[in-house]
Amino acid sequence: MDYVLTVLLPQLLHGLVFGAALGLLALGLTVIFGLLGVMNFAHGELYMLGAYAGIVVIGVTHSFWVALIAAPILVGIVAAVTEVATLRPIYRREPLYGLILTFGLALVFREGARQIWGGDMRRILPPFTGSTPLLGMTYPNYRLFLLAASSVILLALWLFFTRTRAGIVVRAAVQDAEMLDGLGVDVRRVFTLTFAASGALAALAGLLLAPVFTVYPQMGVEMILLAFIVVILGGMGSMGGSVVAAFVIGVAQSLFSLWMNPQRVAIAIFGIMIVVLIVRPRGLFGREGVLE
Amino acid sequence: MKSVGWRALLVFAVLALVPLVPGMSRYYLLLAFDALLFGAIAMSLDLLMGYTGLVSFGHAAFYGLGAYATAIVMERGVLSIWVCVAFALLVVGLYALVVSYFATARRGIYFALLTLIFAEVVYTVFRYTQAFGGSDGIQGLPDATLLPGVAIDTPLRKYYLVLAYLAVAYVVCRVIVTSHFGRVLVAIRENEDRARFLGYNVQRYKMGACMVSALLTGLGGAIYPMRSAFATPDLMLWTESGEFIISVMIGGLGTLVGPVIGGAFFTILRDKVSSVVDWYFIVIGGVLIVIVLFMPRGLLGLRRLFARRTGGAAA
Repeated sequence: MDYVLTVLLPQLLHGLVFGAALGLLALGLTVIFGLLGVMNFAHGELYMLGAYAGIVVIGVTHSFWVALIAAPILVGIVAAVTEVATLRPIYRREPLYGLILTFGLALVFREGARQIWGGDMRRILPPFTGSTPLLGMTYPNYRLFLLAASSVILLALWLFFTRTRAGIVVRAAVQDAEMLDGLGVDVRRVFTLTFAASGALAALAGLLLAPVFTVYPQMGVEMILLAFIVVILGGMGSMGGSVVAAFVIGVAQSLFSLWMNPQRVAIAIFGIMIVVLIVRPRGLFGREGVLE
Repeated sequence: MKSVGWRALLVFAVLALVPLVPGMSRYYLLLAFDALLFGAIAMSLDLLMGYTGLVSFGHAAFYGLGAYATAIVMERGVLSIWVCVAFALLVVGLYALVVSYFATARRGIYFALLTLIFAEVVYTVFRYTQAFGGSDGIQGLPDATLLPGVAIDTPLRKYYLVLAYLAVAYVVCRVIVTSHFGRVLVAIRENEDRARFLGYNVQRYKMGACMVSALLTGLGGAIYPMRSAFATPDLMLWTESGEFIISVMIGGLGTLVGPVIGGAFFTILRDKVSSVVDWYFIVIGGVLIVIVLFMPRGLLGLRRLFARRTGGAAA
């Protein structure tokens, strides 16, 4: 019982916290994948830019809360400009080109961040400290806030996609962009706005996780593979699947690390992924035959 | 052999004369080594990407495994290049057999991701195993020997080593591409289902292409420590695989010669720009973006490839 309370339960919560933030990251990735057919290699860099934008805004305003609003907006603007300038011209080309293009964008963003902010590790202080007694243990307040905030945003996104016209338009574009175009919707605008929103979500995840992790130019590279894994496990293009898979991976990683060293955890997660890809490539909730 | 052609022979003759160029310093010979090595690996990848339509994001693992195989053999005092290469081909071959068996069962993005994740497993194992030197890798290797007493110790000899590798890789790729086997690969790229309906065992062909490409890449990895005297886990990082893909794209998909030029161009660009400015990755990323946007067929833009196609089988 002691083991459960002092070891297992906190670790489980860590997993949920991380999973929720990972969900924000993976959701944007899967929507873009559904929309453009492109696995966005630069998504991790938008996540990284979110954390740095947060540092800049906090430096100016001394407020984490202002940064939480401003940083995603700034990164969203960067994403929108990027989309119009580079992805829009290649909509009709092979997805391979999108993959390689975003790989190039990732290089530019990563090196750009290193030039502007330097290569050293940075930290963002959590906006509040202390911890709360919870189920017989104490848990850091900031992590609880992280879990709550991510969950609220995910819920809001679910409402957006199911209850608003704009959300339904985006889902329609994922299903069949050409048909939507034929129905008189400006699909290009939908693409650009969705790309901007997915960038903003990645930035939000980056900033929310920054007080827990450290901020450095390579942080996106570390996360993007995990986000890819989440997207595959959930089923490419399945939004709900991505969120569920994010929690599964978050908790699995967290619990595994109780019994294994970090590299074994990584290998275990990769192993799960290989098995999923071989046995059930459409993931948990993906439609059969999508891009197989 | 007639498929190799006199033009290729001419190019190799010119490349063989490169060390005679006045002012060819040690530095330039080693740069030429890197350029041709990268070019040959990009060409091996092109066999898979350009001709079979399979994008591998895991070639760094074949490359790195080859390098580690050589390093492990040399670390134990066996300096014969033939032993190193044989061991590297064995190790890479066994690993490639597993990867290609599972990965070729899937298409498109799933193939790319499977190769990527397998490679990450290999990277993680080598990065954290102390017997292989952890993140430092295996350093300070001696020079390899071609025959007992004949060491590959000068930049000139190293240059001819890489030239020999390029020649082997080129002949293998060219012979395959012009053979019946190669035509079936193109058929699979163009329409996999139709190739299957025609009675070809599609997966076996894809596995074959994957194995050849992996072994040639592993061979390139095997000779790398003979120039650099080290093997590090960074050779296996997925960004390295990305750089191979970049080289293929710069040169021109499905042209064999293009990726050699692309790989050499990429290596020289990286070397030259990094000696001038610190932010050379911005330049490289920028070049990549420009190529995708404005010259999607690469430096050696080839008319016949992807001209008619709009759908999404290649990624």
